[in-house]
Amino acid sequence: MKQSTCLRVLMTFVVVGMLSACATTPFEESPVSGNPAVIALADTARNDIDAYRYAQAAASLERALRIEPRNARLWYELARVRLGQEDYPQAENLAKRSNSYAADDTALRKANWKLIAECRRELGDLAGAEAALQKAK
Amino acid sequence: MSGAITFKRLRVTLLLLMLALAGYLVYLDYTVRQQFEGRRFALPARVYARPLELFVGKTLEPEHLAAELKMMRYSANDDPAKPGQYAYKGNTVSIYIRDFVFWDGAQPARRISVNFGRGVITGLTDFHSGKNIDLTRLEPVPIGGIYPAHNEDRVLVRLEQVPNSVVNALIAIEDHKFYSHWGIDPRGIARAIYTMITGQRVHGGSTLTQQLVKNFFLTPERTITRKFNEILMALLLELHYDKRDILETYINEVYLGQDGNRAIHGFGLASRFYFNRGIEQLELHQSALLVGMLKGPTYFDPRRHPERALERRNLVLAEMQRQGLVSQMEKDAVRYRGLDISDNPGVGASAHPAFLELVHRQLRRDYFESDLRSEGLQIFTTLDPIAQVAAERSLSRRLDQIERARRLPTNLLEGAIVVTSALNNEIHAIVGGRRPRFEGFNRALDAERQIGSLMKPAVYLTALSKPDRYSLVTPIDDSKLVWKEAGTDDWSPDNYDKEFHGQVPLRLALAHSYNVSTARLGLELGVDEVIETAHLLGVEREMAPFASTLLGTVNLTPLEVAQMYHTLATGGFHMRLSAIREVLTADGKPLQRYPLKVEQTIGAAPAYLITAALQDVVREGTARRLNQYVLPDIHAAGKTGTTDELRDSWFAGYTGDRVAVVWVGNDENKNTRLTGSSGAMTVWGDMMAQLNPEPLIPPQPENVERVRIDVASGLRADKECANSVELPFIQGSAPEKSAPCASPSAGGKIRNWFQRVIGKD
Repeated sequence: MKQSTCLRVLMTFVVVGMLSACATTPFEESPVSGNPAVIALADTARNDIDAYRYAQAAASLERALRIEPRNARLWYELARVRLGQEDYPQAENLAKRSNSYAADDTALRKANWKLIAECRRELGDLAGAEAALQKAK
Repeated sequence: MSGAITFKRLRVTLLLLMLALAGYLVYLDYTVRQQFEGRRFALPARVYARPLELFVGKTLEPEHLAAELKMMRYSANDDPAKPGQYAYKGNTVSIYIRDFVFWDGAQPARRISVNFGRGVITGLTDFHSGKNIDLTRLEPVPIGGIYPAHNEDRVLVRLEQVPNSVVNALIAIEDHKFYSHWGIDPRGIARAIYTMITGQRVHGGSTLTQQLVKNFFLTPERTITRKFNEILMALLLELHYDKRDILETYINEVYLGQDGNRAIHGFGLASRFYFNRGIEQLELHQSALLVGMLKGPTYFDPRRHPERALERRNLVLAEMQRQGLVSQMEKDAVRYRGLDISDNPGVGASAHPAFLELVHRQLRRDYFESDLRSEGLQIFTTLDPIAQVAAERSLSRRLDQIERARRLPTNLLEGAIVVTSALNNEIHAIVGGRRPRFEGFNRALDAERQIGSLMKPAVYLTALSKPDRYSLVTPIDDSKLVWKEAGTDDWSPDNYDKEFHGQVPLRLALAHSYNVSTARLGLELGVDEVIETAHLLGVEREMAPFASTLLGTVNLTPLEVAQMYHTLATGGFHMRLSAIREVLTADGKPLQRYPLKVEQTIGAAPAYLITAALQDVVREGTARRLNQYVLPDIHAAGKTGTTDELRDSWFAGYTGDRVAVVWVGNDENKNTRLTGSSGAMTVWGDMMAQLNPEPLIPPQPENVERVRIDVASGLRADKECANSVELPFIQGSAPEKSAPCASPSAGGKIRNWFQRVIGKD
């Protein structure tokens, strides 16, 4: 029981570690929005994600999305929160929502497809994961 | 000898009696302590609208902001120096926002300036520091409560908050020996017993302690036993608790008036209800009025009987002076003041009962009814007061106008509206009937009516999901149809204009809402498959797999229709509509959040095409007269619905930011003489026009391309074609052939040029 908890914590670290490792993709260096209100909320959410306060992070992101509902980056961030919570079906659908607004932001599209691939792998859909990875290329 | 026995018997009897009395006392003592300590006042759940977010760039009319401040009883003041005040001058609204505890923490009181330019916030600054503010929010408008038994409402206060004037007035009028007696007033009791024996009505004679015991533990009938219990319990209460505890409980318990079916209890709520201020801010004359009202809150109701109330108040003031609790000067200073009652009597019976009912139903899925009615939960909803007020106004106004203009019997028509966000899962407004303050049949949630042509998008969406077979220009057969099905009569639908239209492009069959071609298309696809699409759009109810289902012989509520069209508006992402964001405990701790959940149930490309088709309904189809209300550059999408014998008039549609469904009909299913476009659509348009809608420009999916099509032939057009439209197609599904009007190919073009230059073949 205890061991599996330890394992889960460790896994979470690994996942978060992987996520922060790819935090240097070009789109993440650009500001999430031109609106200071949205930037402030997204920053708060980032801090909450880093501290595993996922519910708070989701609340801030949903608040930001009420201000900029078509902001693909915010939808991606929300997908990351659900991934962190191991809610893979939600994470996948939110990433798809992000893609629907991503327009020609190819870097973001790739990140979404990577995230979708990860969700599918976690759910045991290896073929689906492979297909998503193809799209991420 | 016998005398000794009798005496002994008497002694035993007495002893037994005393034992019984002692036992009874122990029992009473237990009850009193148990209940007094264990009893927490049942507090209603308080329900709030969404807080209004303020940031630079937000679309907001200053009038809407001012209206919302008024709903929260902010008072206009040239120099807002205290929380709860605001000033509206030119393009600037200055607000002293009150402090408030939100889901994500407390927001302190703060004075801000909001600048407007053309319906957009252009500046947002902190008044004291002068610094720019990125984001802040007003506290949310309270929209009602979910009340405990007997609809008791109260706001608890601690004795330290209660001004001396209240305590002094209470002592003077109700119980001037309060601090010295043991809980009862022997002379008062003697008087009470005497009047009871002589059959007169009992008046007064009770100490504050006795009154509290009566309200707290006992039933209201007047009997000797009850009086006896009251006395014992009052004594016991005084034995265990000090005067301050008893006084504080009394101040929170007493009944002080009625607001619709809501009972106003305690001085804390009463000072808000009558004076729109916290109890700390009560002035002497206001305290005197409240205490005076205890004698008969209905009889001395200051809103209904101001003269009586004033007389009673001055009596209380005089008595206070006589007992030396106020000086002559203090009394005279307030004696000639008015009652100072606030205009707005609060939100007792909610201003928006239809929305509140939806909130209550959603909460019942997760909470016990008893907790909702007693734990003082704070419910943060998605209600948008601006949309709600617009929806209520449009429905009432348009139904009045329609009845007058068409000489229909007055009140023949009823209606309902559901408004939601088009971008997340939040419900903005619910109108359950044309008299929105009236709690009654909530048509938005409970009227199950035939949806007629509102079903059609499910048919066309099913078709458009098969790009190898259908596109927006695929010709559909609108000639006479006879459908034979075993076990049922032959089915032969008619068009509304009683004519057949031959071959019609798919998008125009929907735009003109042709029944025959729609039915044929649906039968080609399979009724089951169309029903499956409706389920994917979020209709949870079972639908009979009959051919007539294709034309909407299905009963749905306006809320169910809203869910269906919401999935179209989001581009195929199903999100279960919700009326609640968060629930907090009474002391502001987060309890539950209702997160946004999305599921892509419809492919992005077919969803994009169906929206384009529904935009054609408004541009050139049955809803084209919507442009009398909503500007064409909004590109609204929507569908009219009319049922047999004009019993139901529907319009469901969306703009860039909102989805709305309007139903107009008659509760007894009478003929309304209205079609979807002459009834419900005009309500929809009238409402949207007030809401400053965003244009509908859905993001184009990767696998969709836009192709110019010749209207006459439905084939590829070019610049040569006089009458053409640009339409979206899923890649590979657009017609390959060029229209007759178009130049055959690039090679052909060059040849043409040569021909013209050379002037011969």
